[in-house]
Amino acid sequence: MAFYEVYSHPAVIRYKTSVCTKATLFLVVVLCLTYIPPLLVAYRSQGFWLKRSTYEEQPVVRFQYQTLMVAATGTQGDYVAWSTFPHLNNMLGPNLRIPAVSVKEEDLNKDGKLDLLTFQLQLPLKNNEQVYSVQLLLTFSYQLFRMSTVVMQSLAFVQLASPVPGAKLFISGDLRLQQRTPLPHRGLYNIYNVSVIDGSSPFASAYDLENIVRSYQARNLTTVLSCPMPVWTVGPAAGSPFELNVEIRYPVEVITYRPGFWETIKFAWIQYVSILLIFIWVFERVQRFVFQNQVLTTVSIPVGKPHLS
Amino acid sequence: MAAFVFLASDFFFIFLLIVTVNSNENSTSSYFNSTAWDDLNFTSGTTFVASTESTVLSSTTRTSSGTEPPPLPAEPLPVSGRLPTPVTAVDTLCPCDEHTDACDISCCCDADCQQEVALFTSCSVTDVSDSRQLCSRGVASYALRTRIDGFSELLTSIKKETNYDLFCIHSYNRVDGLSLPPPALPTDRNFQTLFQRFSSFMFGAQSSDQELPAQVQSSPGYQFGDVLRTADESGQGGVFYLPAAGITAACVDKSPAAFLKDQQSRCSRRVILETDCSSLPALSMDSYSNILLLNGKNQDAAVVPVDVSSVVLRSTEGTQSELTVGAGEDLRPVLLSTGVCARVALKVVYVIRYNAAGEVVNAAVSVVLGFIRGASVLLEQEFQATFVQDGGELALRLSGNPGYVVGRPLLSGTKTAEGISRSTELRDALSLLHSSAEQDCLRGPHRRSPVLFGVNAVSGCTLRLDDAANCSLVLQQLLDVLRGPNYPQYVASFGNSPLNKQLDWVSIQSSFSPVEDQSCSLPLSLHLEIEWTKYGSLENPQAQIVSIREIIQTNSSSLPLLSGGGGSLPVRSSVAFVPVSADALPGYRATPTIDAKLPFNFFFPFV
Repeated sequence: MAFYEVYSHPAVIRYKTSVCTKATLFLVVVLCLTYIPPLLVAYRSQGFWLKRSTYEEQPVVRFQYQTLMVAATGTQGDYVAWSTFPHLNNMLGPNLRIPAVSVKEEDLNKDGKLDLLTFQLQLPLKNNEQVYSVQLLLTFSYQLFRMSTVVMQSLAFVQLASPVPGAKLFISGDLRLQQRTPLPHRGLYNIYNVSVIDGSSPFASAYDLENIVRSYQARNLTTVLSCPMPVWTVGPAAGSPFELNVEIRYPVEVITYRPGFWETIKFAWIQYVSILLIFIWVFERVQRFVFQNQVLTTVSIPVGKPHLS
Repeated sequence: MAAFVFLASDFFFIFLLIVTVNSNENSTSSYFNSTAWDDLNFTSGTTFVASTESTVLSSTTRTSSGTEPPPLPAEPLPVSGRLPTPVTAVDTLCPCDEHTDACDISCCCDADCQQEVALFTSCSVTDVSDSRQLCSRGVASYALRTRIDGFSELLTSIKKETNYDLFCIHSYNRVDGLSLPPPALPTDRNFQTLFQRFSSFMFGAQSSDQELPAQVQSSPGYQFGDVLRTADESGQGGVFYLPAAGITAACVDKSPAAFLKDQQSRCSRRVILETDCSSLPALSMDSYSNILLLNGKNQDAAVVPVDVSSVVLRSTEGTQSELTVGAGEDLRPVLLSTGVCARVALKVVYVIRYNAAGEVVNAAVSVVLGFIRGASVLLEQEFQATFVQDGGELALRLSGNPGYVVGRPLLSGTKTAEGISRSTELRDALSLLHSSAEQDCLRGPHRRSPVLFGVNAVSGCTLRLDDAANCSLVLQQLLDVLRGPNYPQYVASFGNSPLNKQLDWVSIQSSFSPVEDQSCSLPLSLHLEIEWTKYGSLENPQAQIVSIREIIQTNSSSLPLLSGGGGSLPVRSSVAFVPVSADALPGYRATPTIDAKLPFNFFFPFV
């Protein structure tokens, strides 16, 4: 007749001692060694406090219908230009060449956020003119809402020069966000909600592309048109206008932000407790050995001894 | 997971028991009698229905069977929250209507039985309802009543029943929720608000006749950034333009000058000598000097003519000589027979004096005239406008207060009996050779660039060995080229060192002494090593120049050997700034402490 275990339960043995004993001292040391070293281990192994984190969001982008276009029409430095800024157009004088521009913004996936800007510009040319280079500047209004509310005005700049004259330039790219510092995790972030180009200024320096790009690149938060493959269609555009076709997509961005207090605490807590569990287990075994074997003298009250005192 | 399911089903069972007890009181027995409709086959009629709250929506004797579309609500639907009540359409359903356009016997809900209803004795279907699983469902009841004359009359009632079951289904079948809301009709009253709301960005948003922003007209004078105005002989007001490079390097003539904004611009324009030399106004000095400035913004502002303070003639070789301007002398550009256009304005500098009220007191222009040659030439012009307060001195510019600011030129001077004498011209300051297209050290006018604090620079030229035959002569020429025409002896140690305090000035140490011996040793590089230190408090340290050393390297071996048979040698001119700041020390002796600190970001989110 073999026996088998029907049931089991742990039994509690209490070890008692007074305050001023070695056992109390041992207990204090063990408690300190259990709870403080996990903190040090978690901290020294790096990444204890979460400093930056990321999230995904598709921005709300609107084309601001501000454009500046410069095209070199000869190898000798001749150029034509056009902009939506009346002061600049007045300054350009004979170099002003008014193109035909058509713009549409589309919401392809019908989620209420615009996805694609199609910008078409047809620059009429005189018979002796050929286009060797194009500079195009477009401005956008850019908004993010998920963590902190970001409102800014940004630009996309296209520049292409070719030693051979072209008939067409096709550009298809993404308007990417560039961050130098992480965003805050909440609140309104609108320090860059200022015009990239001061359209009310009558001075030529306000429209100098070098000044515009310099002050724009000094910002911590910018957008850049990433267009790895511009297509310059070689060919004389005799009589026919130069065509500039631009497609700019507004993709989903991975945005870096600085986590808030509770998010930081949450991740620190996860790391601390997971290391703490190991320490608790180890020191539990140490304590059991010490007290079971009476390394330190204590009064043990075994199970089943009824009604002591 | 399995345990959870068990627990959930247990809970559900208890819930059902309670529900059943409750529902005995007011549950109606017939929910759905039709077998044709009963595709959801429930075992018990009462278990799944918690309680029924009957609301009679309509109770009519049927007169017509036409179904009307649900009316569109006037108010917009809620964006979130509770779903609106679904549209009840149970009165259009009829499970016993098997023949279209013909009456089915005893089918009370059949719309075709208008007359035959009077002959019915019973209804085959008395209740038509939506699915039982819906939280809110409509029930259409049909009953017959016998009139006095013995014929039957149909009584129809449509009720809405609410199902309080935990797992009921909220149905949403309103048509207006599936389409865009009707747009607000623009009227003459709400047009502006609608326009503001929907037209954020578009072409033509900027009006083309933008006026300059209206300033507070309290002061008659100009304010910072205001456009300077001019007066014509005709009395027509104009704007004082200062050509500048716009979006390209080409000159933009219509760029206005702004009050108190010092401008310096360099731009180019294409000139075809045959036609432009005498006719293009931008080449003529008159178009820069015949300007009548208005001294204020007001209508009654006084007219300040621009005086010609100096006219400098630059020869084709680059040497400059000042012209004495006589009255009525013609200084317009003229095309010489040799294909050279003379007296072309190359550089125009305005100095405008203003008083404390912001009024222009006087304006002076100095012009550099020169020659251009070639049928079609790219002419570079330089324009400058400087504003000086009346009574103030013109441009004794400091380079820092007190320490040097990075990017400002070093102050340099020569020793005189009274102290240090310093030229106000930037070109007389300590400078480096600037490379030119000619590249030859011994030929042509050399451009020089000032030594700017904190900016290391290198430049140079080449020395042709053919020219190095006369050693002692070339040695002196090379030294002059490398050091510049006005080589200073002293450099200010601070950016604002006063001229009368000689101790604030550091002398340039030079260990070079030309030795006359058999082997010709020429200076091949001039290097300025400037040691500077941070001075003052840790919070706001000031840059101070400690020492400046001129290091001239000469060749030790013969020149042809150095050049490697190339025929020319590079000669270098460079400057380096060396920070020699000592580590910051505490200003007092502190008691030693135990340096057992936690890392600085240990308690990062708390403190």
